[in-house]
Amino acid sequence: MTFQGLIIQILSGLSTGMVIFLIAVGLSLVFGTLRILNLAHGALYMLGAYMCYWISSVVVQTSGSFWWALLLAPVGVALFGGVVEVLLLRRIYDREHLDQYLLTFALVLVVGDLCKLAWGVEFLLVSTPWPLNGPVFVVGMPFPSYNVFLIFCGPLVFAGLWALIRYTRLGKVIRAMTYNREMANALGTNVPRVYTVVFMLGCWLAGLGGALVVPTSSAMPGMDMVVLIECFIIIVVGGLGSLPGAFLGSLIFGLVNAFGILVAPRLAVAFGFILMIIVLIIRPWGLMGKPE
Amino acid sequence: MTLSAVRKEKSVSRMIVIVVLAILAALPLVLTKGWLSLVTEMLILALAAGGLNLILGYAGMVSFGPAGLYAVGAYATALILVYTSWPFGLAFIAGPFVAAGAAVLIGWFCVRLTQVYFALLTLAFAQIIHTIIFEWYDFTKGDNGIVDIPLPELLKPIPHYYYFSLIVVALCLGLLWMIVRSPFGKTLQAMRENAQRAESVGIPVRRYQLAAFVISGFFLGVAGSLFCGFNKNVFPNYAHWIKSTEMLVVCLLGGIYNFFGPLVGSVVYLFLDKVITGYTQYWPLVLGLIIIVLLLFLRGGIAGFIAERWAQRRGSREEAS
Amino acid sequence: MFRVENLKKSFGGLMAVNEVTFTMTKGEISSIIGPNGAGKTTLFNLLTGHLKPDSGTVYFKDLEITGLAPSRICRAGIGRSFQKTNIFPRLTVFDNIQVALMSWRKNTRNIFQNADRFFQNEADEILVSLGLGGKKNRIAGLLAHGDQRLLEIGLTLGTYPELILLDEPTAGMSPEESRNTMELIQRIVRARKLTLLFIEHDMNIVFGISEKVRVMHVGSIIAEGSPQEIRANNQVQKIYLAEEM
Repeated sequence: MTFQGLIIQILSGLSTGMVIFLIAVGLSLVFGTLRILNLAHGALYMLGAYMCYWISSVVVQTSGSFWWALLLAPVGVALFGGVVEVLLLRRIYDREHLDQYLLTFALVLVVGDLCKLAWGVEFLLVSTPWPLNGPVFVVGMPFPSYNVFLIFCGPLVFAGLWALIRYTRLGKVIRAMTYNREMANALGTNVPRVYTVVFMLGCWLAGLGGALVVPTSSAMPGMDMVVLIECFIIIVVGGLGSLPGAFLGSLIFGLVNAFGILVAPRLAVAFGFILMIIVLIIRPWGLMGKPE
Repeated sequence: MTLSAVRKEKSVSRMIVIVVLAILAALPLVLTKGWLSLVTEMLILALAAGGLNLILGYAGMVSFGPAGLYAVGAYATALILVYTSWPFGLAFIAGPFVAAGAAVLIGWFCVRLTQVYFALLTLAFAQIIHTIIFEWYDFTKGDNGIVDIPLPELLKPIPHYYYFSLIVVALCLGLLWMIVRSPFGKTLQAMRENAQRAESVGIPVRRYQLAAFVISGFFLGVAGSLFCGFNKNVFPNYAHWIKSTEMLVVCLLGGIYNFFGPLVGSVVYLFLDKVITGYTQYWPLVLGLIIIVLLLFLRGGIAGFIAERWAQRRGSREEAS
Repeated sequence: MFRVENLKKSFGGLMAVNEVTFTMTKGEISSIIGPNGAGKTTLFNLLTGHLKPDSGTVYFKDLEITGLAPSRICRAGIGRSFQKTNIFPRLTVFDNIQVALMSWRKNTRNIFQNADRFFQNEADEILVSLGLGGKKNRIAGLLAHGDQRLLEIGLTLGTYPELILLDEPTAGMSPEESRNTMELIQRIVRARKLTLLFIEHDMNIVFGISEKVRVMHVGSIIAEGSPQEIRANNQVQKIYLAEEM
């Protein structure tokens, strides 16, 4: 493997990692605040992808339609998530974990089939948008500029969320709830509203991830479950509920994946799970989480 | 309740079980091969869900990976039949023991965690099993699965395999019944209710959770081996988490706090599956909606709902007398 | 019979239990009092294995039990009740007690026989002595708070401990209920010749039945003596009793 090839592989791993960071961090955030492992998170990602396709190919017919879709699709997913939270999730917050898992799983089935109903089962492509539809040259080798854009999205969103959590009131409340739920309750925060907002934020992130991914890999059935399992691995490794943990976990995941495919393609699939098992056995709360 | 009322209720329950068994035994005389196949599948799924429910409903351990052990049982039987000259009976018996062995290994790691971490670790192990089966092409034939598994002549006709499954499932469910009614079973329930308190009254919770996990794995393995013979082939997706979720849904449908829940859930689930896929390809959508309705309105599952009604009637009858 | 030496536990920077040392003789009835946050429950958690101490040792009948798992400590003969009611909510009252009995009699590994036939009489006895006999088939989680606290104590007694640690046994009870409960406990303790150590906030109870009182404040035992001595102790009054009375 040449030096150039190595660099390209690293960049490739980074771009995968940064996209999945967007999705994983939403899942982690929802778990940290609401204490629900939202199995439907992958389905929301898929919904974002389909909506991105829809808006950019069908609704907005001008050029630059992708950027409109990138703006609007996540909002659409967030609104959908808000409705779901208010109508359904709210009723099961005080229930046992199994009920919560099964409800979110039911949403996976419903959203999955609704997407199938609306958009069929074919792979739906969106062309890479201008001005990112050409390659850049890194160490003399071509690399899609769109993927470079993806690499930048990760830290951008990370910074945005970091600022949100550190400097806004909402962020303080999120931190309080992640750390000590009873205290946050006692302090008189409007818990239901916070839950809704955080859940919608998580959905927005999932939708954003889905929209971003469409130009590189198209919208298709089954994409929800693949990404969900990957997110599980990442937030376990990084630590459930931890923002820097999700970032670190995504980086590790992206790079391990990129090199795993080179080194042992048949077992690459298992690497993630082996990593997850090792972390759960040695340090269940992840690299940057807190022991409960 | 008075002693005579208790005795009466016990004999009524016994009557119901005998009647149900008699009906099941008579089914091959009235059903077509297609429907009989479906009932066989229902029995096997009922056993798998029943095994899962031992840890799920009784011990309160939510596992995302029962299909992993189910597949271990199925593949153990299949591999033995294909690679050795062991008779079917031996291969069939080996399946659950191999599954139980895997459960010891997996369970030892998993019971050290609780709640969502336990669930995720069981999922990870099940996916590893899936990957091993999928990738170890030379041994397990990977994605192609192992097909044309030889059955003994006696079991080849569908009605015969149906009786075989009926006997095995009835025996296993009987064993499960005995276990959940035993002191061990009550202890599991106490652990579910309050693990900390259980420790404080002297119960070594981790150890018992492992025991329950292994017993559950054994019965999942029986179901896997049964299905291997039923389908005459095995595929990696037997271990896939989609299969695991199917088992969880079946338990929920029937009701996890009721012994007959998994049985009822299995029948209803497969029946609906068959009927609804006849009308529409959107069976997942319907299933999702059913689950949502159940979770919001019928919290004890179907069997739980029935049991509640029965208890209400019994209560009012007692008041009247 | 029971010896605690230099027990220490801190959480992060907070010293919850600070070099606690005391002994108890067989049959002694004593209590621990102190303001909220003094470390009393944490101390209990250290004694019963729910928390591991940073340093220090605990001896029960000359056997070291420091840091053992709660189930082992129960087997050694120490029983404990909790401040927050800790029962098996969806089991019946009878089942609750029966589980404790089955555990003590090492019957929990039995997977072959129906549980119903075991320890019916013994469980009934315990329930009757607590005044819960008529409620044996009720679901434990649906009982009134006072009855749940009684059941909590029943669970503690079900493993035939020689030393019992009760953490605020009358928490949430009315004054009359509290009085009755403590009389009941006293009777049982005297009948079975048990050693009792309890945490309480109700001063009447503390001074009513304790032979010895220990006062905890910010993780240490600052005073120890008979109820009269403690009542007269200025330091204790300043810190604690002045708030109460």
